[in-house]
Amino acid sequence: MKSTATLILRGKKYDVKAGSTLLSALNKLEILPESVICVRNGDLITEDTLIEAGETIKLVSVISGG
Amino acid sequence: MKCKKCGGKAVINMRQHNMGLCKDDFIQWLQEQTQRHIEKQKMFTLAEKVLVAVSGGKDSLALWDILVTLGYQADGLYIALGIDEGIGYSAESQRLTEAFANARDLKLHIVNLAGEYGTDVPTLAKQTKRGRDKPCSACGLVKRHEMNRIARDFGYDVLATGHNLDDEAATLFSNTLQWNGDYLLRQAPVLEERNGLARKVKPLFRFYEREMAAYALLRGIEYIYDECPFAEGSTSTYYKELLNQLENQSPGAKQHFYTKFLAAKKKGLFAESTVEIIPELHLCPKCGQLTSARAECSFCKMMERVQKK
Ligand code: SF4
Ligand SMILES: [Zn+2]
Ligand SMILES: [Zn+2]
Repeated sequence: MKSTATLILRGKKYDVKAGSTLLSALNKLEILPESVICVRNGDLITEDTLIEAGETIKLVSVISGG
Repeated sequence: MKCKKCGGKAVINMRQHNMGLCKDDFIQWLQEQTQRHIEKQKMFTLAEKVLVAVSGGKDSLALWDILVTLGYQADGLYIALGIDEGIGYSAESQRLTEAFANARDLKLHIVNLAGEYGTDVPTLAKQTKRGRDKPCSACGLVKRHEMNRIARDFGYDVLATGHNLDDEAATLFSNTLQWNGDYLLRQAPVLEERNGLARKVKPLFRFYEREMAAYALLRGIEYIYDECPFAEGSTSTYYKELLNQLENQSPGAKQHFYTKFLAAKKKGLFAESTVEIIPELHLCPKCGQLTSARAECSFCKMMERVQKK
């Protein structure tokens, strides 16, 4: 069974370990939780959510300029 | 994480408020808070006509959505700046703004720089000394001038923009690094009307950028996700990132930095000096807007220079 999941931010894919929280995955990737919103199957999820094997979570960058 | 109000599943955790909320409660909370801020700061009433400056981005479209939901008389203003840079930035943001307005049957004014003045922001930036490195100075001048013009010509009482707390905190940070007293004095969520210039308000000034993005997503608002190509690598984006690092270490730091500034100002910390620092204003002979120049305003001067070429 697959034990990783995928995070996508601005088109870039990151492999992360399943079973840990989103927060710890973001910390490992050095992505500030304050700068993204996490979306799973179209639903917004909080950073304490456990990452499940094989899933894909989209990170929406919140900073905009202009 | 559980919703603090109903115990359901939270969709967002706002660490600075120590509060997680579910979709419905978050949407309701954000709308109610906006109304509270509008009333507390005396921004406008249900009887006044509001012009919302919309860019196609999440903040301004969310603001328009909130105001209409709350029952305010809010129309939109989109300024077509002609920024393309190979990604069709202006065209796409206009398309999204029009789609938003049409779907909700809202009134949208569109000012097209090309049609109105025969130019666009990149050209203005190239041909005047305002845009040597970045067109933002020329762009800002155009936006301010055109917002004032439409507000005046169509009789709007108030001009509302979608600035959020992160925008305001980044501006404050920049002005503080330079101890720019003039700007610090003028930075406020409400600027009262002055000689025919509409009152200017920022109803989202207490919300984090992240909350506005969440609101737009949860309400299904289609907004332009790419930032303006000229915003990339800008100092304001960099300051936002710095403040977010601070926020990450100590939740609420970003909010305190800004709200404590407003509180200090109220107490007179940045009292106007006895020397008059606000310049005397005159009417521009060409467009009739206020200017500190004794002749034409900087907008009209810039347009003249470009049209001569
Ligand atoms: S970032 Fe783009 S939209 Fe914003 S002021 Fe600069 S040129 Fe204008
Ligand atoms: Zn709830
Ligand atoms: Zn003028």
